[in-house]
Amino acid sequence: MTSITIDGVARSFGSLRAVDGVSIAIRNAEFFTLLGPSGCGKTTLLRMVAGFCELDRGRILFGDERVDILPPHQRNTGMVFQNYAVFPHLRVGDNVAYGLRARKVPEKVIGERVSRALKLIQLESFETRWPHQLSGGQLQRVAIARAVAFEPHVLLLDEPLSNLDAKLRIEMRAEIRRLQKTLGITVIYVTHDQEEALSMSDRIAVMRSGRVEQMGEPQAIYEQPATPFVATFVGATNLFAGTVSRRDGEMIEVAIDGGILRVRSSVGQPGRHVEISLRPEALSLVSAGDQPQAGWGLLTGALHAVEYLGASTRLHLRLAGDRELHLTVAASPNVTGDLRVAYDPAKAVVWAKDA
Amino acid sequence: MKRFFRLYAFLLTIATLAVAFLVLFFLVPVLKVFGVSLFDAAGKTMTLANYTHVLSNRFFLNALGNSLTIAAAAFALTIVIGVPFAFCIARIPIGGKSVLLALAALPLVLPSFVSAYALVLMFGRAGIVTGAMRNIGIPFESIYGMKGIITTYTLTLYPYVVLPTVAAFRSIDVSIEEAAQNLGSSRLRMLRTITLPIVMPSILAGGLLVFIEAMENFGVPFVLAEDKPILAVETFKLFVGETAANPSSAGVLGMLLVFCTIVVLLIQRNVLARRYYATGARRSPPLFAVSLPLRILGSTYCWTVISAALVPFVAVIVISFMRFSGPVLHYEFSLDNFAQLLQRSHRPLVNTLFLSTSAAFAATLIGVPIGYLLVRRRSRMSVLLEIVATSPFAVAGTVLGIGLVLTYNSGPVILTGTSLIMIIAYAVRKLPFSARASSALLQQIDASLEEASINLGVPPFATFLRITVPLILGGIVGGAVLSFVTIASELSSTVVLYSGPWITMTVSMFQALEGTSAGEATAAATILILFTVLPVALVYRLLRRFELSLLS
Repeated sequence: MTSITIDGVARSFGSLRAVDGVSIAIRNAEFFTLLGPSGCGKTTLLRMVAGFCELDRGRILFGDERVDILPPHQRNTGMVFQNYAVFPHLRVGDNVAYGLRARKVPEKVIGERVSRALKLIQLESFETRWPHQLSGGQLQRVAIARAVAFEPHVLLLDEPLSNLDAKLRIEMRAEIRRLQKTLGITVIYVTHDQEEALSMSDRIAVMRSGRVEQMGEPQAIYEQPATPFVATFVGATNLFAGTVSRRDGEMIEVAIDGGILRVRSSVGQPGRHVEISLRPEALSLVSAGDQPQAGWGLLTGALHAVEYLGASTRLHLRLAGDRELHLTVAASPNVTGDLRVAYDPAKAVVWAKDA
Repeated sequence: MKRFFRLYAFLLTIATLAVAFLVLFFLVPVLKVFGVSLFDAAGKTMTLANYTHVLSNRFFLNALGNSLTIAAAAFALTIVIGVPFAFCIARIPIGGKSVLLALAALPLVLPSFVSAYALVLMFGRAGIVTGAMRNIGIPFESIYGMKGIITTYTLTLYPYVVLPTVAAFRSIDVSIEEAAQNLGSSRLRMLRTITLPIVMPSILAGGLLVFIEAMENFGVPFVLAEDKPILAVETFKLFVGETAANPSSAGVLGMLLVFCTIVVLLIQRNVLARRYYATGARRSPPLFAVSLPLRILGSTYCWTVISAALVPFVAVIVISFMRFSGPVLHYEFSLDNFAQLLQRSHRPLVNTLFLSTSAAFAATLIGVPIGYLLVRRRSRMSVLLEIVATSPFAVAGTVLGIGLVLTYNSGPVILTGTSLIMIIAYAVRKLPFSARASSALLQQIDASLEEASINLGVPPFATFLRITVPLILGGIVGGAVLSFVTIASELSSTVVLYSGPWITMTVSMFQALEGTSAGEATAAATILILFTVLPVALVYRLLRRFELSLLS
């Protein structure tokens, strides 16, 4: 139950800057997610907090206490490893009790705490089972119970769901979130799965090449991505590059290959190079003869692929200038040939490109 | 389906032949020894008198006690020496690891009784070191007896513990250890509560092999035991009979020997085998950052162990190039020992090369298809094949030799005294090794490679020849070479089975040892070492891939 301050930490492996000057302030009882592609430094950062990776510079504090100088076993963090790391030679109960025994908690108390931890993850009757008798999902729960049984300052989760099947993964998301709320514990959660990050977190830091690209609440990350990278990594989007040809109050007109986009933006003066993101849900199909909603822009493209996704359908269009555009529509539409697509100029995100 | 059947039929035929081979030349002989132990001297009436006679005889009980004590001591000492050694190699940053590991494995292919003989040369009654110590006034009697035997076993068998333990230390998943530290364990507590328990099954498995090997070995106690009774030696003596041969009592002792090794083997297979903790590490855990003094200490320790184990062999080689007059050693260079040895006869060397080559070839030819069937085609026959691929471990070479002599010295097929019976005995003893070596190799090769080939239209039998065999060929050759060198230094069944024209290097060394021609014995030992180290060095790159399968 503590806040965590990560203050300008950096670590290089040879010429690779794995973590390159990251500062994050995590609040008490916050569910904080490090999100990014593999190799972005998120796991290294987590291992720095746990003490398995040394810092080249910077500090890490739990509350007011500096911890980056402590060895891992004195940091009082509970960590859940990607491959669970449940001790194969100890029974479930002894696995969960391991951290308590290391802290010399009296055996009588250990018994209670172990049952409480196992109850928390709904494995009450598993105390005397061996790890090899358990399924992947159960091992995952044991790993979590073991990490929280000794009431650590913070809970660190390193892609804990990546080895589970899709359905179980969604169940476990909710369960981990519920557990975190029940215990009121500070969590750092590492994942490359944007859906996981959006659904579970209080706040997210999107990382890329050892740096934090954007930090904020899930909604802000999704709706106001700070960079084109964040827009493409978190959710699907259509990116366009072009030059501002005209500004008209809040609106700008941007010349892209084979057309003009008219979007709302505060950035970008005429002549400036910009990038524009249009999320699939900011787009809608306009049937022949209908008019688009007032104020919406219009694009025309040739349909060249249809992906049926069950609840929705994704359409792939090719615009003039050979540009790809994809949009998601609710039902399975019976369409072919050239299609007209309307876009909401207010939902576009525009970044000025460095000159 | 028809094509599929061809490969399977081929393998099955070989496997069936292998089973028949083992029934004829392993099962029947061992049962014959058992049978002999159940009949009176005339071979007419069935009786348990032989057992009561042996088990009430103080001398034979002593032999049993001595053998068990020696095996237990070797078990304990190899673990005490081997585990820290393995830990240093696997987990501490010290220099020359691959050299250390290669040298550590070397005693496995060197004839252990050469090491025993070297100890006699140095620490025997007239030994070089003994004499030197007496000269400077340190009382030292000699190395003979239990202490010498145990020392020799410890120094020659510790690799059985080191190799699997190094592998186990290296295959621990790093996150298991990190989890222990994350949960509040210091490195020392982690070693004690997590690392060591996880590698313990591998340590014990290696230790039990030491136990079996120490029970069944014949050459080392023959050189060092003097008047101490040792089970394997007494079995042989009773059978050959210096005054009158006594096959019934020899049979009883042989059965005792087999019983002890079977018990140990069953413990290993049924208790330990279930306790392997596959942690599925994708890469080896990192080395421990330890202080410089600790690194120096670890390095020193490893090199001390290596030297202690290899110095006897080096000593024998050096001494073989010195001049002897009778048993007296002169400190001057000479090739006389070799000249005398080879002048007498080339036969032993030629015999050893011929017998070892033939037997290694036979063991490989039979063993590889069995290994393939064990890994790739699990069937009802697998259990039978598992037994085939294990049971020869449980029977001491002396006992197998006696059984073969008893079975094939009369009746329709007489093999006693031929080279064939020796080749058969060697092939039986090496079959488990070659089968296991090839199944271990196959386990490392994903079955999808073969499936891909079949999927691309190459029938199974052609796939076996074009994909499977080339992939494991290096390993097969390496395994055959290892079989060759271990057969070349085999003594326990050789000493029972050889006849005048088929005398081998080991036997001639042996006779030289019993006589007074110490010089010739060292020359023979040097040649033997040459013929075991040289082939191994030549194929060392092939061997590295399956150092472990050497063991079981």
